[in-house]
Amino acid sequence: MAADVNRRDFLSGLGVTVGAALSATAGAALPVVGVAQAQEKPKGNIPDKPFKIGHMTFFTGPAAVLGEPMYKGQLLASEEINAAGGLLGKRKVEVLKADEAAGTDANVKELRRLKLSENIDFFCGITSSGNTPALGPVAEELKVLTMFVDGCTDFLFDKAVPNPHYIFRLTNIQSADGCTTALAIAQTWPKSKRIAHIHPDYSYGRNAFDHLKIVMTKLMPQAEVVSEGWPKLGTTDFSSHITKAIASKPDLIVSSVWGGDYVALYKQALRYGMFQKAKFATTLAMGTAPHAIGKDHPEGVIAGVHSNYHFTYPSGDKWPLNKSFVEKYHARFNEYPNFQAEGAYTATYMLKAAIEKANKLAGGWPDDEMIIAMLEGAMIAGPAGYVYIRPDNHQGYKEAIIGFSKHVPEYPFPILDPNRIITIPIRNITAPPGWPKGEPTSTYTWIDKTWPVVKA
Amino acid sequence: MDVLLIHIINSLLYASVLFLIAGGLSLIYGVMRIVNMAHGNLYAFGAYVTAWAVGTMAAGAPVPVLLMLLPVGALAAAILGAILEPTLLRPFYRRAEEYQLLVTFGLLMILEDLMRFIWGPYPLSASEIFENFGSLTIGDVIYPTYNLLVIGVGAAAASFLWAFIYRTRFGVVLRATSQNMRMAAALGVNVNRVYVQAFTLGCFMAGLGGAIIVPSQSAVLGMGIDAVVLAFIVVVIGGLGSLEGALVGAVIVGFVREAGIAWFPEIELAVLYLAAATVLLARPAGLFGRP
Repeated sequence: MAADVNRRDFLSGLGVTVGAALSATAGAALPVVGVAQAQEKPKGNIPDKPFKIGHMTFFTGPAAVLGEPMYKGQLLASEEINAAGGLLGKRKVEVLKADEAAGTDANVKELRRLKLSENIDFFCGITSSGNTPALGPVAEELKVLTMFVDGCTDFLFDKAVPNPHYIFRLTNIQSADGCTTALAIAQTWPKSKRIAHIHPDYSYGRNAFDHLKIVMTKLMPQAEVVSEGWPKLGTTDFSSHITKAIASKPDLIVSSVWGGDYVALYKQALRYGMFQKAKFATTLAMGTAPHAIGKDHPEGVIAGVHSNYHFTYPSGDKWPLNKSFVEKYHARFNEYPNFQAEGAYTATYMLKAAIEKANKLAGGWPDDEMIIAMLEGAMIAGPAGYVYIRPDNHQGYKEAIIGFSKHVPEYPFPILDPNRIITIPIRNITAPPGWPKGEPTSTYTWIDKTWPVVKA
Repeated sequence: MDVLLIHIINSLLYASVLFLIAGGLSLIYGVMRIVNMAHGNLYAFGAYVTAWAVGTMAAGAPVPVLLMLLPVGALAAAILGAILEPTLLRPFYRRAEEYQLLVTFGLLMILEDLMRFIWGPYPLSASEIFENFGSLTIGDVIYPTYNLLVIGVGAAAASFLWAFIYRTRFGVVLRATSQNMRMAAALGVNVNRVYVQAFTLGCFMAGLGGAIIVPSQSAVLGMGIDAVVLAFIVVVIGGLGSLEGALVGAVIVGFVREAGIAWFPEIELAVLYLAAATVLLARPAGLFGRP
């Protein structure tokens, strides 16, 4: 039966669509980000003690390019909530910063300190996939209500905390990155045969490589890996990796390099003529700091945004929540938000919605158990679109998105081509509830065992 | 064949920048017996200052002007060095080495935060120069012309430094201080002045490395910490305190890394440490080190 499936049918079966409009059917009870609507009066007695959020992310080192916007996203949401009187109109939000760059052991100690000495009510943030598996179990042990913004490794809910109670995570899981980029490739350049890879040598790059490979095995069975490059995270000299990739005469080069590393990679690749020699696809390049990429960036590259969010989509008036978020963020920080800013902003409002719902049901300030019950299965409309929290694994899911780089007069840096945005329903590229835990990830084994190998 | 040639040029490119960083580190150690952990961030500081001057302040200026601005990073690093040595390092010369390590390591962290504070967390580029040099064709491969300039600067710095140390009066004083500081002082050498000069020169080289590389790579946080680790691999191979060692070490690291990437991508990270470990086992003081 497997041999009968053709690629086009399979992709449309997955719901991989280009240029689809977001179906906006916001119901009356759906919480949204922002505090513009008239607030309902909270029930019962609400204390006016400040609500303390411990926000840990990268404030130093190369990953500050992701951490700083994450903090700004949470800060913006908190300021908005405070301007409207605070949570349930009473409790002002206070954000305490902690630097994730201190290292995993120090981060664990800092989380303990935040809970035991500072008495935080909520722990949020985290960028690195190396940190969530260490902090997750500690947050559970300390019983501190936690929502990781990123740190998106599948390992967290596959293995480290398979039955989470206090911890949640908002942005899409890591495997979605490799899968989304691979599907975009299979749809755009399905005939590619010789594939060269350049990935940073740590868990994210390895994960992206695994999932790119497994999806391509299924949808582009003719494709073979002709070159691998594993630069260290933080590398800015890619001469050797580019030379090697070009020398392997690839049709397509795929990379999960990001941040300042990516800026260096594409600028050097331009001078090596790499973009003339092969097509190019990325998983995260346009997601880290959209404005750090220059006008010299080639167009038509598959431009990954961590399968989460780019501030230009949904565009214009199509999705007012995004328009207003981008405007407010730009007015406050004089830059454009990335997926971390959107994630932290939405996480804050997700919490707010859960608190309000719990108050409506029981009155007074809800305890953590009630907030958790409200968060499980919760859905909110954020700037990026709908996000829901799966009750069984506490993982946030939203439609995966990727696009093509394009220059437009409105911005001094490339954005995603508004006419060619690719979106994929997240449920179709992640392991479903009840799927046995697998190696390297559950999603990997799920794709391996259940997706057919298509005919060309 | 063409590809092999490109690999060789790539290796020399990497070696040039590494030599500028490790050479300064080695020079400072050779003269002052200080292992300057902060050295990597003087390199990063040079990169940031040049990127800021070329990419932000003078953005859009004609390329010759931008090229003239290139060395400002090196000068800034030198000035910073000239301030740091007498104020921060001098009080610790009489203390045990651990104190110096702690102070310079702390300085590494402080400089990292200082750069983040001044220039923010986003990468800073100065790629207009790199773009303007274009590419040249070697066989059927094209190669960024600017990289050849970097190799040229690396080679020029090495020869200049050699001439400076072995052919000038200052070089004699420097070498005398390096061999026996007390004796040099007894003979009337102003050791404090030699120290600040050596430190400034070392910082200038690191800053030059950053300034020359930033048009093709952009300045990012954390680049200095990476650089100091690589520089230590170079001086471990070449021998701490030896300029010849820094040069040979940088060339070895350049070629080993290139070969690792080309043929053993899975162990790209490990291959440099393996090279350093091999040298340490065979010659614990490094290839050119004084035991």
